[in-house]
Amino acid sequence: MKIFIGLINGMIAAATPILLAALGGTITYYAGIFNIAMEGMMLGGAFFAVLGSYYSGSWVIGIISAIFGAILLALIFILFSVVLKMDEFITGIGLNLFALGATTYMLRQIFSVKGAFAGPGIIPVPYLDIPLIKEIPVLGEILSGQNLIIYLTVIITIYIHYLVFSTRFGLRLRAAGYNPTCLNTSGVSTARVRVWSLIICGVLCGLAGAYLSLGYVTLFSENMSAGRGWISLAAVILVNGNPLGIALISLVFGFSDGLGLYLQQVLPSQFTSMVPYIATLIALFIYSTRRKERELYE
Amino acid sequence: MKQRLINGLAGIIVAMLLGAVVMFVQGYNPIETYYALFEYSLGDWYSFSTMLRNSVPLVLTGLSASVAFASGPVNLGQPGQLLMGALFATVTGLYLDLPAFLLLPLMIFAALIGGMLWSGIAALLKRWFNMDEFITTLMLNMIADYFTYWAISYPFAEPGAYSPMTPQINRSGWMPEYGHFNSNVIMMLFVIIIVWFLFTKTIAGYEWRISGKNSLFARLGGVQTKKNYMIVMLLTGALAGLAGGLVVMSGPHRFIKDIGANYAWDGVMIAMVANNGIIATVLYGLFFSTLQSGALGMELITAVPSELIMVLQAVIVLLVVAGRGYIDILLRKQAERRKVRERTT
Repeated sequence: MKIFIGLINGMIAAATPILLAALGGTITYYAGIFNIAMEGMMLGGAFFAVLGSYYSGSWVIGIISAIFGAILLALIFILFSVVLKMDEFITGIGLNLFALGATTYMLRQIFSVKGAFAGPGIIPVPYLDIPLIKEIPVLGEILSGQNLIIYLTVIITIYIHYLVFSTRFGLRLRAAGYNPTCLNTSGVSTARVRVWSLIICGVLCGLAGAYLSLGYVTLFSENMSAGRGWISLAAVILVNGNPLGIALISLVFGFSDGLGLYLQQVLPSQFTSMVPYIATLIALFIYSTRRKERELYE
Repeated sequence: MKQRLINGLAGIIVAMLLGAVVMFVQGYNPIETYYALFEYSLGDWYSFSTMLRNSVPLVLTGLSASVAFASGPVNLGQPGQLLMGALFATVTGLYLDLPAFLLLPLMIFAALIGGMLWSGIAALLKRWFNMDEFITTLMLNMIADYFTYWAISYPFAEPGAYSPMTPQINRSGWMPEYGHFNSNVIMMLFVIIIVWFLFTKTIAGYEWRISGKNSLFARLGGVQTKKNYMIVMLLTGALAGLAGGLVVMSGPHRFIKDIGANYAWDGVMIAMVANNGIIATVLYGLFFSTLQSGALGMELITAVPSELIMVLQAVIVLLVVAGRGYIDILLRKQAERRKVRERTT
């Protein structure tokens, strides 16, 4: 039972950053932007979270500064891809490299360390105990005592689903991706919708970064997003952007991460670390064979 | 051509000015810093030959990405292919004790195979299951990273080393050095000529370029796009693998942890900034190598952290590519305006 609860909690913890970034990615996916900059935005968010938390001594400022940092990167993306009409793929890769270089440089310049910065000065985001639910035997240990950002993520997932499918903004968002000319002729600027979608993506990726460096662990290390942005991109593609589907697939990826940790008892850690990436490949494999079947059926 | 040159130079200059502003704000002397940067990469024969040696993996992975992007496949797997090539070459050099004229070609061959194997997996996944190579190559990068880390930690580890690494390869597997000039540069020149010839002067290269521009048109014109896809993936994997093999053979002569970290995304970056042109890729590869080689000297003299170069490179890529696109848009607008004027008169 204890292993089971550990696995579930590990799954939730590992799924959260992927889910948050993927929700950001899905907003831009609906807006018709091929956005691959989640990796960089998440990394930027993680760095600014540590920066804010360390210098203010408050995790609230940490989260706010993470969101600020990620929005800054989103603005660069907007400048190059929306304003200067640069290829989105190249902008994304350029931005990811910029985020990696800039965070490594600032880590060296501001904290005077190479590789990783950890210390008691970084205030992590607290874990919440929910009074009554805590008492329930098994469920209590899962539903209560999670990180604050995890509870936020649940609310955000539902809200994004509502935002995309049930609001005027959501309609415009989907129109921007589905038929931008039509949206423009109906008097709504596609470019403006895309700008907002990128800013929302920045906010969510910033939160994902804050969770990485103030929740999952309490430190910042070079390139700590470690491909999670790419996995979240795969998650968006796999379910065609549906927010609830993304939540499910993120949990699957999170589970593979937790499973990797347990497999460490029998396998060398290098192999268990591969598990999330292999899981992504398997998921893509299932997706493409299903797509093939559907095409044959039609 | 001239326009591209101006665009590239303008992008580089603006990026370096931005870098100068950053340095100035932080209280460094930008002129002194840039002087040290170029002094330590181009200043004397030793620095220059080091710069040339370091440019080999950059140019080769750049060529790999350029050829792939220009022909259609979005092969982003250079980091993983480089690692596998390096591992294969290292293992060959560890266990075969042959004279140099046999061992060197064998190790290079092993590096090519290692890279091809890794890009071949992605190519087959696309061929059989229609899985997009741009995500599979990325995932394979991560897997290669951990796989090689395991290989140098357990089966091929140097006992008692302070960090994971293999023992040194046999002496005859080292790329010969003349003075400070490493012969991997000759190898690079050789490969550049082959790739350039293949890509611009042969029918196969023409087919690749056409497939890259318009795959449907190519297929209707009788090009076997699926076969070409496989060939391009294998070729570009081999190029990245060769880059890895040469890093081991000309540098530390062993596989140390994070050997490929410096070159991870540089190939893709160089291809993008060079707009997938072969010659432009070589030039930008040399320039980025100049920046990277001079970075340590810069840090030594002026205490500006060498990581600044990473930022500078990304900014150069963004500015040059955006500038290129923007010039194209402006030219098109001008042409349209001219057309409108001609019609009205």
